Amino acid sequence: MRILVHKEKCQGHARCWSMAPDIFDLDDEGYIVAGDIDVTPDDEKKAWRGAKSCPERALEIEK
Amino acid sequence: MTTPTAARPIPAHVPPEMVGEFSLFTAPGMAPTPNGDPQAAAACVHAGPRIFYSPLNTRDGHGTWVITRAKDQRRVLQDGETFSSHRSIFASALGEDWPMIPLELDPPEHGAFRSLLNPLLSPKRVMVLEPAVRERAAFLIDRIARAGTSCDVMNDFAFPFAVNIFLRFLGLPDDQLEEFVGWATDLLHGEPAKRGAAARTIVAFIDDLAAERRREPVDDFMSFIIQAKVKDRPLTDVEVRGIGVLLFIAGLDTVAAAIGFDLAYLARNIADQRLLRNEPSRIVLAAEELLRAYPTVQMIRVATRDIDFEGAPIRKGDYVSCATMIANRDPEEFECPEKIDLSREDNRHQAFAYGPHRCLGSHLARREIVIGLEEWLKRIPDFRIKEGTAPIAYGGHVFGIEDLILDWS
Ligand code: HEM
Ligand code: SF4
Repeated sequence: MRILVHKEKCQGHARCWSMAPDIFDLDDEGYIVAGDIDVTPDDEKKAWRGAKSCPERALEIEK
Repeated sequence: MTTPTAARPIPAHVPPEMVGEFSLFTAPGMAPTPNGDPQAAAACVHAGPRIFYSPLNTRDGHGTWVITRAKDQRRVLQDGETFSSHRSIFASALGEDWPMIPLELDPPEHGAFRSLLNPLLSPKRVMVLEPAVRERAAFLIDRIARAGTSCDVMNDFAFPFAVNIFLRFLGLPDDQLEEFVGWATDLLHGEPAKRGAAARTIVAFIDDLAAERRREPVDDFMSFIIQAKVKDRPLTDVEVRGIGVLLFIAGLDTVAAAIGFDLAYLARNIADQRLLRNEPSRIVLAAEELLRAYPTVQMIRVATRDIDFEGAPIRKGDYVSCATMIANRDPEEFECPEKIDLSREDNRHQAFAYGPHRCLGSHLARREIVIGLEEWLKRIPDFRIKEGTAPIAYGGHVFGIEDLILDWS
């Protein structure tokens, strides 16, 4: 599973990070770090929840 | 809340059939009401159209368009070019004209200030403030527990807690707490004359603090601001003031009201109260659901050009209201929005707004609420609304609770 990060949509809610801090990395201002994220099978559930929690719809799940 | 002044005439471009009865100030359940539930009362708009015109929907009697669906509110809040935040609410109450920063600036100017302030309230930074938040909560609740088996949550805990965290954030000593609580109470809940005086006191306080830190910087928030640069130049006095005043007012009433609504809910729903007390790890998720169900802020934007929006002829200068309490009870967005389910997972609520103005203090606010509930439930046994009392809740620009007398005898 891969998560496509639409950085331009991110407004720093940090909901993704609060669900899965080791998958979603935030910069010093609290916005998501650019770059799509490859998720290991073990992490899929957490990553899914994190992506689904983004209020700005900045995280897209690619299966 | 004060009642709004007389309504202005409805502009000619608003089609009569698009005028609605509902307003966050005058609809049933919005005036201060014993045992009121203003958020539930506001949800009635979902039976109606996506957008309508409410003739009296601000404190000073302005009409606004009301956007009822969360999806449409997102469109408005993400488009600062068409829907501007520039209003100078605070300053205009003083007969002046300067923006609260970053609240009343639009992109791209907004972004420069936002970048400056973001690191100060980022999730990682808030983790550093957390021990102080917990210590303050414990201090206040211990005092309440020692004093008896009943208290007014708003006066004894929620409000002083929020003010105290703000003092800590500014790096000011706790002994100014009483004084600050007094100013904040007058500003947010006082009669018009008291409000004006409190506003002037707060502006003077912020100006003095900035001047003092310019003379002798220390390691605190205000010293950081006066030494900071935006667009390669230092901030002007008016910008420093705009930031300081906003931070003062943004995080007091909002946090206090959230804690009040949450404890009122738990007092009335003893099974949920016990669930959270016995399994405190559920509080983080529960706090999100309570933020969804009991959000407090109505956002207003001003149209910068004519635009037809979902069939409504919005004209340049019109006010557009995006009320978080309305978005958060949108059945197109949430399954059974009227049901409060403390383990709701799919919960992209908008208590802290969307788009570039997303609440800068949201990470701190969330921790204040969660820690407040954790420490409260740890120290106070089964509590209820005190018999013979009825907490007064109200709608308006910022929803809240006047008093909340709890009893655990
Ligand atoms: C539960 C508590 C809180 C709620 C419900 C809340 C809600 C909101 C909302 C809805 C907005 C957007 C307003 C708009 O776009 O017109 C906002 C903005 C803001 N809030 Fe909060 N807030 C809370 C606590 C705090 C705290 C504790 C602070 C400060 C430490 C804070 C600082 C700010 C600032 C500075 C802005 C302006 C951001 C910008 O314009 O870019 N808030 N808040
Ligand atoms: S939840 Fe969305 S908006 Fe928030 S930090 Fe993550 S990607 Fe950004």
